Amino acid sequence: MSNRRFVLAAFATAIVLTACGSEPEPEMAPEPTGPTAEELEAMRQDSIRRARDAEEAQRRREMEAAERERQRRAEMARQTLRETVYFDYDEAVIRSDTETTLRAKLDILRANPGVQLRMEGHADERGTSEYNIALGNERSEAVIQFLTGFGLDAGRFSSVSYGEERPAAQGSNEAAWAQNRRVEFVITAGGDGIGQ
Amino acid sequence: MLRPRIAVLVLTALSGLPLVPAEPAAAQEDVAIPGIQLGLAYENLYIPPLAILPFTGSDTDAVLVSEIQGIVARDLDYSDRFVVLDSLPEGLADDGIQYSLWDQYGADWLLVGEVETVSGMPVLSIELHDIVFTSVERGRFPLPARDDEDFRMAVHRVSDEIVEWVTGEPGIAASRIVFSMRPFGNPSAKELYIVDSDGEDLQRITWDENLAISPTWSPDGSRIAYVSYKTGLPRIYELALADGSERPLNTGHDGQHLTPAYHPDGAELAFNILGSGLFRYDLGDDCCLTRLVGGRAENLQPSYSHDGDELVFLSNRLGEATPQIYTMPARGGNANLLSPYRFGQGGYFGDPDWSPVSGKVAFAGGIARRRVLNRYHIYVADTEVGDNRLFRLTREGSNEDPSWAPDGRHIVFVGERRNGFGVFIVDSGTGRTRIVVASVEASDTDWSPALGPRT
Repeated sequence: MSNRRFVLAAFATAIVLTACGSEPEPEMAPEPTGPTAEELEAMRQDSIRRARDAEEAQRRREMEAAERERQRRAEMARQTLRETVYFDYDEAVIRSDTETTLRAKLDILRANPGVQLRMEGHADERGTSEYNIALGNERSEAVIQFLTGFGLDAGRFSSVSYGEERPAAQGSNEAAWAQNRRVEFVITAGGDGIGQ
Repeated sequence: MLRPRIAVLVLTALSGLPLVPAEPAAAQEDVAIPGIQLGLAYENLYIPPLAILPFTGSDTDAVLVSEIQGIVARDLDYSDRFVVLDSLPEGLADDGIQYSLWDQYGADWLLVGEVETVSGMPVLSIELHDIVFTSVERGRFPLPARDDEDFRMAVHRVSDEIVEWVTGEPGIAASRIVFSMRPFGNPSAKELYIVDSDGEDLQRITWDENLAISPTWSPDGSRIAYVSYKTGLPRIYELALADGSERPLNTGHDGQHLTPAYHPDGAELAFNILGSGLFRYDLGDDCCLTRLVGGRAENLQPSYSHDGDELVFLSNRLGEATPQIYTMPARGGNANLLSPYRFGQGGYFGDPDWSPVSGKVAFAGGIARRRVLNRYHIYVADTEVGDNRLFRLTREGSNEDPSWAPDGRHIVFVGERRNGFGVFIVDSGTGRTRIVVASVEASDTDWSPALGPRT
């Protein structure tokens, strides 16, 4: 009984080996009982399929790399769009460093017409708290005016002013105040579609 | 009725609060304002000494009696109308009230109080003796139970009545102050708080976990209009204090709404919509957003005159860095500059508040020697006198958000001083200043009208 089972197992192994041997048998060991024509054809088809699979995998890797690169660039673009800009004391005038930052945003906004932004205006703690809300609003409006001045649709921008109520840096010194006189940017629509 | 000035020193000793000394010289940071007389508004007043006999109450809990006396004594002290003498030598009243004895002791007024218990409720009887003119005023005031939430306010109303007997003008004890402050544990939020004018009974009244700012009392003291960012944009809400219910002001305009102010009739709000101007809205009819001031400049922080005919507000029409104070007819019209401004000199003024009883307007600000102004003071201009005189009420630290008490004499403000940050009250008559709430994160103070009994 155990003998018969061994024979069956060996037979099955032989069939499997014949059917899916991965390489053609080396020539040095030609067997009179070589693969049949059908078996050769199956092997040929098999190798074509494997070549195609490899090609497909390569293409997929390249596409994935391209997608990663696109996403990296989109993330960079989103970071550029979100980059905070700063202002001088009691001023809503666009400084030259602010203009550089805004021009970078401008290119991205032109290339991605679906993107919408909310400008959040802030002020430092000096001055009365209510007037600082007006000042924060003038800063975000100055940014919107700068962007729409280059032909962007004003409907893509909204604004809210927090005045001195949400400081980015704590402290009553010029270093903290300079960090707090700012406009922050929130992407409210189209952020996922950047670069597509 | 002239008494030696030594009485003022007695007050200092008794109250434990230093009286501000006479202004030695103009403070260092001041900049002369050409054409403007600038000075402290403190009058050279005689402040009559008032003695308080220990309140009696044979059938009433002694702790309750002394609590009532304590509230009344402090209210009369905080009224800044008296020098309160409440630690008296033994034996002055052993043989009844002898006016000549009290006159020798130096009291112009003598207050006698008795608390009875009638059907389980305290009743306060007051006698106010005029030592100089030898006359007496009497009153009997039923009080709510001590654990009733109106108990302290009811005692405050008795104090205000005593002040009115003496001065003809009601006191300010039965009033509250609303302000905005960062709640503990949430540094990005601000909530509204209410505190009695004597600094007791601090209560939080909003729970938005967002920014709640610029609160203002309705003229009847029942509602507070304020600005909340809870929808993402600043909008105006009205909060009913009796039940905590709230309704948004739906003006039909989707802009950022700021700095509401009630008309004295309570039926109209004036406010700013950022970038659009100053507006009014009819609360009674819930309609009709009407623009009062437009233009490119920002116009905000309106405050109605006591008769409701005029508005005072802030405008930066002279430039972003020089916000100034203007007055205007309440239905719109020509605006007149009220704050001191000279071309090229700068200056920064804000937070105007019109007195509820007179033509006086308080505001905060200053003129910087250099361009950057770090310290703000509280100023008062009188629109009825119109002589360009400007009085400064504060002399140290930085001070903002002034708001008049119902007596048109005291002013609450937010101060940052060497000896503390928080909510302060200054008496524009004497210059006496006290702290009400100590906090580094308080702002936007607004003083209530006189608060009557609950109805």
